[in-house]
Amino acid sequence: MTNHLETSEMVLNMGPQHPSTHGVLRLILKLDGERVKSIECVIGYLHRGVEKIGENRTYAQFAPYVDRMDYVAAVSNGLGYCLAVEKLIGIEAPPRAQFVRVIFAELNRIASHLLWLGTSALDLGAMTALFYTMREREDVLKIFENYCGARLTTHAFRIGGLQYELHDTFEAELLAFCASFPARLDEYERLLTQNPIWVDRLKGIGILTAADCKAYAVSGPVLRAAGLPWDLRKAQPYSSYDQFDFDIPTGQNADSYDRYLVRIEEMRQSLRIIRQALDRIPSGPILAKVPKVLKPAPGEIYSSIEAPKGELGYYIVSDGSLQPWRLRVRPPSFLNLAALEKMAVGALVADVVAIIGTLDFVLGEVDR
Amino acid sequence: MATEAWQDPLSAALAATFPSSVLTRESFRGQPFALITPTAWCDVLSWLLLNHAFDYLADLTAVDFPQSPDRFELIAILYSFSANRYLRLKTRFPESFSPASLTPLFPAANWLEREVYDMFGISFAGHPNLKRILLPEDWQGFPLRKEKSILAMDQSWVQNHLGIKSGQ
Amino acid sequence: MVETLRKIFLADLLTGLWVTFKTQRTSNIVTEQYPLERPRVGERFRGAPRLNNNPENGETLCIGCDLCAKACPENLIVVGTERNKETRRLDLTYFTYDLSRCMFCGLCEDACPVDALELTQDFEMASYTRDGLIWDRQMLEEGPRPTPYTR
Repeated sequence: MTNHLETSEMVLNMGPQHPSTHGVLRLILKLDGERVKSIECVIGYLHRGVEKIGENRTYAQFAPYVDRMDYVAAVSNGLGYCLAVEKLIGIEAPPRAQFVRVIFAELNRIASHLLWLGTSALDLGAMTALFYTMREREDVLKIFENYCGARLTTHAFRIGGLQYELHDTFEAELLAFCASFPARLDEYERLLTQNPIWVDRLKGIGILTAADCKAYAVSGPVLRAAGLPWDLRKAQPYSSYDQFDFDIPTGQNADSYDRYLVRIEEMRQSLRIIRQALDRIPSGPILAKVPKVLKPAPGEIYSSIEAPKGELGYYIVSDGSLQPWRLRVRPPSFLNLAALEKMAVGALVADVVAIIGTLDFVLGEVDR
Repeated sequence: MATEAWQDPLSAALAATFPSSVLTRESFRGQPFALITPTAWCDVLSWLLLNHAFDYLADLTAVDFPQSPDRFELIAILYSFSANRYLRLKTRFPESFSPASLTPLFPAANWLEREVYDMFGISFAGHPNLKRILLPEDWQGFPLRKEKSILAMDQSWVQNHLGIKSGQ
Repeated sequence: MVETLRKIFLADLLTGLWVTFKTQRTSNIVTEQYPLERPRVGERFRGAPRLNNNPENGETLCIGCDLCAKACPENLIVVGTERNKETRRLDLTYFTYDLSRCMFCGLCEDACPVDALELTQDFEMASYTRDGLIWDRQMLEEGPRPTPYTR
């Protein structure tokens, strides 16, 4: 006769102040022993009403606010917003501005992925990686600071092009970064890729198949790790991305480990794009002819870009006045986080930390 | 809005399949969109999903037009991986109407519809868990409706806390 | 045999320490001794606002056009002007800049047609009260006066 210990369901509250939830995410986990039976996300702690603010600001005035959604990828947010408004008023940034935008957006992708790599490695107990990635991220942020005066909330681009011409030391700084970064990437890979603890914690954890990704509208590296080579930079090129030669890394197993590999490879590809853009950067004006008072004709557009986290879209409805009638942000983190339930149910509590880590969301963007 | 007619095989097929439900088919800056009746909302989206592989619900949102009798406009932005194209579907309905939930077709609609409910107060019929998502559960009102003004809120806050005139 | 020798002479320990000592160079130190040494911020850094005076006669450059106040997303600038009967120009009477709501986006300095309003490289703007962050014209012309660090 076997004696069964009596077990009962346990409700565990994780967050909102939990180091591995990357911000203020609260999870209500129902546990059967160590297994997750159900998971509920409580979000909104960082809700600032960005969409409502957008309806009450002029088009140019709203640009600094978008930096504060995904604050680790402010340049990408600004690029998406500027492209959306440019599409609404039917203008295009000059070629030089487009190339500079590409360089900064890719640098930002590297910075965002570096922060992700460091923090999610820290969640799983690999502390060294954080110091290394922060060191390289610092180089990128220094370039941002010298270019536009701010490190995080950059406000680097303006509607119609750029506000600032490249600073004198820009090329030297960027070349130095391009020269040192590949060796640093190899260093991260030496630390992690074959590391048995890292592999055991990630392989086969948090599988989200391509079909599930489509159903949950998951985009970005998570979708590509599921084997679907879909990247808006290739599928619907914007800002002259069609002039650069780069590959879309994909995974096969759709698990957390593949997401890690995809992001590492994306950083290499970003570096490739930066090198090409720097070589071929055209001269010319940096700002298109934009009316001083921006008053788009009535209309509505949806414009999306490939942000570091996934598809970042802006849906703008104009009623012909100075301010948008409706400004909707399609945040990649929000929809990626919605798929957490699909991935985490049935997993162990410790694996939830790994899944959250490799999903790579920013709560500032989830809550807006 | 200076729109053009949306003309391509998909537009023709949409009109032929739903002759009474599809009200307008237009395109603005090369982006096609169709206005459909609210009762056909689920049917048209399910037809697009099953027959034309629009299998990615990129976004679902709403716009408030308080002057119009059909106050709310609900917008679904669909994407097809195989055709590599976006398509917008819109429907207009008054405040009292409850559109059918898209959650059986697209699991992604779950959180998106909750956000629309949170911000506009549109309740979706058949949604499994329709409650506030970004705002606290005891919040009064729906902030993205046009009658909520944040400018007045800003002004009174600055008056009360800083004791200075705000430029607004 | 080799293993034993390695153990006796602490070879593994020395290998590990070599990695540590290899990087012990003063050029690798990145920590900034902040209050003692002020960090060098970028030339285009957007920090404390300043209202510039004409260096020749000390008069303000501001022409009271109100463009900065109109450009500001947070509407935190209030410009007070008065029409001068003799010169028929606008004279600046007061200028309020509420730093507590400023996000340093730089739209005001972009809008200024005469380079009167400028975001400078000063970053020490902390204050014990909210009122201390509402800068008037005098404060904007003189700049912040941070408490100097003493041991």
